[in-house]
Amino acid sequence: MLDPDTVRRILDEALRNGGDLAEIYLEDRTSLSLALEESKIERALRGADRGAGIRVFYGDTAAYAYTDDLITQSLLRAARAATSAAKGSNRSRVLDFTRSSSPLEFPIEKPFDSLSEREKAKLLHRVDQVARGYDPRVSQVRTGYLEYRQQVWVYNSQGLWAEDDRKMVEIRIAVVAQDKGVIQTIHSGIGAQSGLEVFDRIDPLAEAQELAQAAVRMLDARPAPAGEMPVVMSNAWGGVLFHEACGHALEADFINQGSSVFAGRVGEKVASSLITLIDDSTLPARRGSFRFDDDGTPSQPTVLIEQGVLKSYMWDLAEARKRKARSTGNGRRESFRYLPLPRMTNTFIASGDSDPEEIIGSVKRGLYVKRLGGGQADVAKGDFVFSITEGYLIEDGKITAPIRGANLVGNGPAILSEIDMVGSDFEMDKGFGRCGKGQMVPVGLGQPTLRIPKIIVGGTE
Amino acid sequence: MSGEQIGGVAIDYLGLAQEIVEQVSRKGVEAEALIMAGQTTMVRVNKGQVEQLSQASPKGLGVRVIKEGRTGYAYTSDLSPQGVKESWRDALALAESADPDEYRSLPEPQPTEGGGLALYDPALVTVPTEEKIALAKEVEEAALSLDPRIVATIRCTYQDEAWHIYLANSRGLADSYERTVAATYLRAVAREEESQVAGLGVGLSNFYGELDPIAIGQEAAKRALELLGGNPLGTQRATVVLDPLAGTELLFFISEALTGEAMQRGRSFLLGKLGQKVASEAVNLVDDGRLPRGYASAPFDGEGVPTSLTRVMESGVLDHLLYDHYTAQKDGTRSTGNASRGSYRHLPKVSPTNFYLEPSSLSREELMRGVEAGFYIKSTLNTGGINPISGDYSVAANGLWIEKGEVTKPVSGVTVASTLGEILKNITAVADDLRFLPFYGSTGAPTIRIEGMQIGGK
Repeated sequence: MLDPDTVRRILDEALRNGGDLAEIYLEDRTSLSLALEESKIERALRGADRGAGIRVFYGDTAAYAYTDDLITQSLLRAARAATSAAKGSNRSRVLDFTRSSSPLEFPIEKPFDSLSEREKAKLLHRVDQVARGYDPRVSQVRTGYLEYRQQVWVYNSQGLWAEDDRKMVEIRIAVVAQDKGVIQTIHSGIGAQSGLEVFDRIDPLAEAQELAQAAVRMLDARPAPAGEMPVVMSNAWGGVLFHEACGHALEADFINQGSSVFAGRVGEKVASSLITLIDDSTLPARRGSFRFDDDGTPSQPTVLIEQGVLKSYMWDLAEARKRKARSTGNGRRESFRYLPLPRMTNTFIASGDSDPEEIIGSVKRGLYVKRLGGGQADVAKGDFVFSITEGYLIEDGKITAPIRGANLVGNGPAILSEIDMVGSDFEMDKGFGRCGKGQMVPVGLGQPTLRIPKIIVGGTE
Repeated sequence: MSGEQIGGVAIDYLGLAQEIVEQVSRKGVEAEALIMAGQTTMVRVNKGQVEQLSQASPKGLGVRVIKEGRTGYAYTSDLSPQGVKESWRDALALAESADPDEYRSLPEPQPTEGGGLALYDPALVTVPTEEKIALAKEVEEAALSLDPRIVATIRCTYQDEAWHIYLANSRGLADSYERTVAATYLRAVAREEESQVAGLGVGLSNFYGELDPIAIGQEAAKRALELLGGNPLGTQRATVVLDPLAGTELLFFISEALTGEAMQRGRSFLLGKLGQKVASEAVNLVDDGRLPRGYASAPFDGEGVPTSLTRVMESGVLDHLLYDHYTAQKDGTRSTGNASRGSYRHLPKVSPTNFYLEPSSLSREELMRGVEAGFYIKSTLNTGGINPISGDYSVAANGLWIEKGEVTKPVSGVTVASTLGEILKNITAVADDLRFLPFYGSTGAPTIRIEGMQIGGK
């Protein structure tokens, strides 16, 4: 990308007014997306984002500037903008760069260009046909294809030199079903950090069929009950609840601010002994994986909660510096336009030993949640809310009628302590998760089937 | 005005956009080029210290090609001759992969008028960074010093942007404008015994000098303090009073169902209701792309059509929809200037501009006076429980309980559910305190009273 001499010149410039550490993050990202609705490919889009961000640390402050091109003159100007705030602090030297190596390999079997744009468009048409063909009540289908390659280079004045090359692909599908004035929508997606071989592993047409089936089934959904009741969360995507309700509160920026419910509680019992929560950025093909994070720190698995005991937070470089802690490789950014933040990667609850059938069978009257929509949580209190996009009543231990228009409302730490059954059917999601925290990054999620003995369901009945 | 100083050389971006359009249209296609160039500053403070400071001069190009009704698009942040060429070649090639649609075309140029919109503050780019840092610190201090129970702030941020926008198309359009926006926001954390609550404060203006740091910081603190010690309610049906913070969220999702696109594609809970009474007399909905100092105001929209004022709903009757050029062509009508564009990285998409529920002359106190027993919602957590297609409405809410028109106790951790259709019919009063908030586009709401909502609690 840039030769080490140029990088050294830029970092020297960034430290001209002082500073403890200077860093340059270079990114080259190219993408292709296709969007289908009304059974037509409505747009085909290619994007190129090339740029660099320069960060200077002095004390607990990070000054940042970025440029949308990689012309040396622009980079030097950004370096000067970043250093202007650091006036008067100590000046560090730029050490010689040593290239970091990673044992991780994310092999690509079918490169993006093994299918032409037209063939990719055809695949979306087939998804549309399968979903529409499932039932005449399917009234609209939107589907999109996205692939991108993100190459990243990170250098810092302590001699760090790390490179990564991330290739992501996904197909998103949204189905609208309509009958007698009732409209239902279901959306989902499949993808991976891989080449196009992911579509051999997870068939987009089967996914289209499953979604059409769910949307049509939800047409007969009755209004959800309101009040407190037991809820069984299905495996895989159900993990989104813990991502929002507990994961964010374990990110080091909230900890350092003292604004998280988990601040100062490492070593304490914060969850049921059945719960082990892990964040792991090394898993092959997962969306939250990488060789090095966006600070240049190697990826690693981090046990956050082990059998109910809080073990670790998720640290990035900036937050770790403030506490003289070690980064856990959770520094991530949407692009060179943003400063990194401590973020989740692939976050999941480990498998338990209950039979999932038994978990459902144990509930007299409650809900079975198959699919959650978005979620949001307040890190200060730990309160969360989730919309249920596909849910069913459980009556006398059996899954019965579909329900619509319901929310789950609760408190993350409270739910973690109350979970009383954890299934043996652990599964990761289908590879389309992304997480927003002012910046969007791809993430992975997972969990086994779980029982929450009581939680508030916000319905209308 | 169209000159930008890059490395001491003035770049004529409007000229560059026209040049690209001319090059591409020689291939026998319709072409459009959008160039955006700007400056941004972001400051984040914590405990009186600068935590983050970010500065940049972003820029980029988006090229749209329509070839026999097929749309290809490409963008790049690289405006070198090679980057530009790669980009329009990509757009041209990609058009081949799209399907034809007879209604896809580019709009004819029309005269636009930017005067009176008050969108640009020349002072914004000359205010020294030190002063912006001081403002962010003042906001945080205002929150922390209001009450000893305020223990921390979360992401106390000052942020501004100045953009120059240049748009040209093969029908002869070549136009530009500039806008600025400065915003400050934070969450203040209040703690008392076991209870911990975060409250939001936000201020936004096109003009730097109009931000009021004390008011923004204190708003966050007050919003946190008043909810300390809240408990859930019992499950019941009750009258709800919506603070503008929650009201703008509701209105944004309603606005999503009011576009030509949502109707044409069956993605609206108001499908087939044009011309019908769908809401109570109290409901007047307006979309105004020319609102002076509006966050979403502009002389022309994302594809060059002049912006306008559209009275969408009058006394509860759904009169008009919002259109961009494509959806208007399809319905045989005129674009209302509602093609929006997040940035040069996006194709135009029909979206509301400054969308709001018209206020009445009723004060908030008068609106509350009529509430025998009800829930005053101060903030909501929405996670996809508001669906403009199915019309479902379900959120988690925090707020205050009202008895005989007076606030009695804080409430937290309950859900509120209804449908968007029912809510529109059950709005019995709106107050005079219209406020625009930037979280969902630029949506404005006064305090709203809604009857008969389902509250889910213990």
